Amino acid sequence: MRTAVAKPALMRSMPQIAHVDVNCFYASAERAFDPSLEGRPLVVLSNNDGCAVTRSPEAKALGIATGEPWFKLAPRAKEWGLVAKSSNYELYGDISARFMELLGRYSAWLEVYSIDEAFLGVKGEADQLLPLGRTIRDAVRRNVGVPVCVGIAPTKTLAKLCNKWAKNNPAFGGVCLWEAVPGDVRDSLLERLPVDEIWGIAGRLTKRLNVLGIFTVGDLVRADPVMIRDKFSVVLMRTVLELRGTPCIPMEEERIGRDQLIFSRSFATPVTSADGLRQVLSIYGQQASARLSKHGLQAKVLTAFAATSPFRQQEQAYPSVCVSLPMPTADPLLLARAAHALLPHIRDGLKYAKAGIMLTDLRPSGNQPPLEPFENPHEERGIGPLLEDVSRRFGRGAIGLGHAGIKSGLDWTMKRDMRSPRYTTHWDELPVVKAA
Amino acid sequence: MGVIVGPRVIDAGASLFSVLISPVAVAAGFPSPAQDYFDGRIDLNAHLIKDITSTFVVRVTGNSMEGAGISDGDELIVNRALEPKDGSVVIAVLDGELTVKRLRITAAGIVLQAENPRYQDIKVSALSDLTIWGVATRCLHHV
Repeated sequence: MRTAVAKPALMRSMPQIAHVDVNCFYASAERAFDPSLEGRPLVVLSNNDGCAVTRSPEAKALGIATGEPWFKLAPRAKEWGLVAKSSNYELYGDISARFMELLGRYSAWLEVYSIDEAFLGVKGEADQLLPLGRTIRDAVRRNVGVPVCVGIAPTKTLAKLCNKWAKNNPAFGGVCLWEAVPGDVRDSLLERLPVDEIWGIAGRLTKRLNVLGIFTVGDLVRADPVMIRDKFSVVLMRTVLELRGTPCIPMEEERIGRDQLIFSRSFATPVTSADGLRQVLSIYGQQASARLSKHGLQAKVLTAFAATSPFRQQEQAYPSVCVSLPMPTADPLLLARAAHALLPHIRDGLKYAKAGIMLTDLRPSGNQPPLEPFENPHEERGIGPLLEDVSRRFGRGAIGLGHAGIKSGLDWTMKRDMRSPRYTTHWDELPVVKAA
Repeated sequence: MGVIVGPRVIDAGASLFSVLISPVAVAAGFPSPAQDYFDGRIDLNAHLIKDITSTFVVRVTGNSMEGAGISDGDELIVNRALEPKDGSVVIAVLDGELTVKRLRITAAGIVLQAENPRYQDIKVSALSDLTIWGVATRCLHHV
């Protein structure tokens, strides 16, 4: 039975969405600097070396599940040849920043969706979009050193779906264009795909859908959107419409994911100076601080990015930086200051239409009392600039801020026995090349 | 704040064109466009890094490249986006390790050459048998 999707002829000149994400991101970032890990089963462990959060394909083949505790895996690691790495968020954050900056060169419309995935607006015929997808895949592999897959479709939901197909089916060569997949193949793929494999559908929803006889994505595509809205939500109705080829999931501005928090926003009026962006980034710092406090979290790594206006005829730029925070924090001032590391990359005169920050390496705030974020006491009293002055004159660590202090406390140090070097953010941990 | 900027999309054909010229041409040594706006002190980043997405710094261990002015403990600036050519100093993957050598592509074959008579060259039957991690563009030599 044919599913109801928009006819290709109608989509020809319509904008399309490319969804690009890195395959097994953390494991791939490790391999980019340590070729000896290539082809070996590899897992990356969560904070405190708790459980496997990323598995290489070889580790998946061993039957290792996501979330499997390391203490259960460790006794068999030798027998399997399994390598485990502690999370190296400085490395992942920097690789992510490079990835996003590179993607920005391929489209003026870039939405950073998570540390390792983004949506891009693209346009063209099938015979141009497929090569574009391959170009992006090759460029990320070559420049940044990590493998990606690309899904291109009329909607975000379908683009994500295509990406999944590209990942799971080597025949696609890493790039799947919805329009280029024959209709009967699409239908049979949708009929086989359980409904919870779709973006935005989680466990509890799945059970309620199953009660209505909706088990596969194909079933969901055929469901009446109005019924779905009434019985579930507008959000799920949008998913149904998106699966039918009608774009209706807008740009999102703030998300908290499994292990990251993103603030990204487009400006009503472009910002044209580093000073203007300083203010914007400070505001994000405060908002991020409030959000972290609300969830009882602190962050250790911050990525800040900006993008020029897509509407103007001008040179375009997509600067992005990754900052390793001196300690896990939810302090608005520290977060804002870290975000300001982007400012030297901002060129006065260019029109920036968008900026954002992404926080990773999130962890429970422990016993440090959270600051009241909106009072922002430091900035009012000019303590920020003072700290900066003192540090400049007497060196980093000469003065510290409140509970953050001068020294790194013991309470936040984490067990990361198997962490690889922070290859791209620390001079004393550079990758070593042999001249032998 | 908070106004959504709708997607402006780039024509795939046009993007392909810019892809063809952009990273490669920039990497080949056009001055950074930022220099036109730059009015302050000399900026080593702008001078040494032509493409920040693909440029990495690595540390050298060993003496096999001394003839090329690359000593034990020096840092190399490596651009992964550059096409390795005959004569390039490359970072190659050998036995799961990153190794720095001079790449020679000649009619006689492909050779990874050491720049020190005490070390032997490595012959490679085809470029496709070789994983080139990146091309070194500068050496930060410790004096």
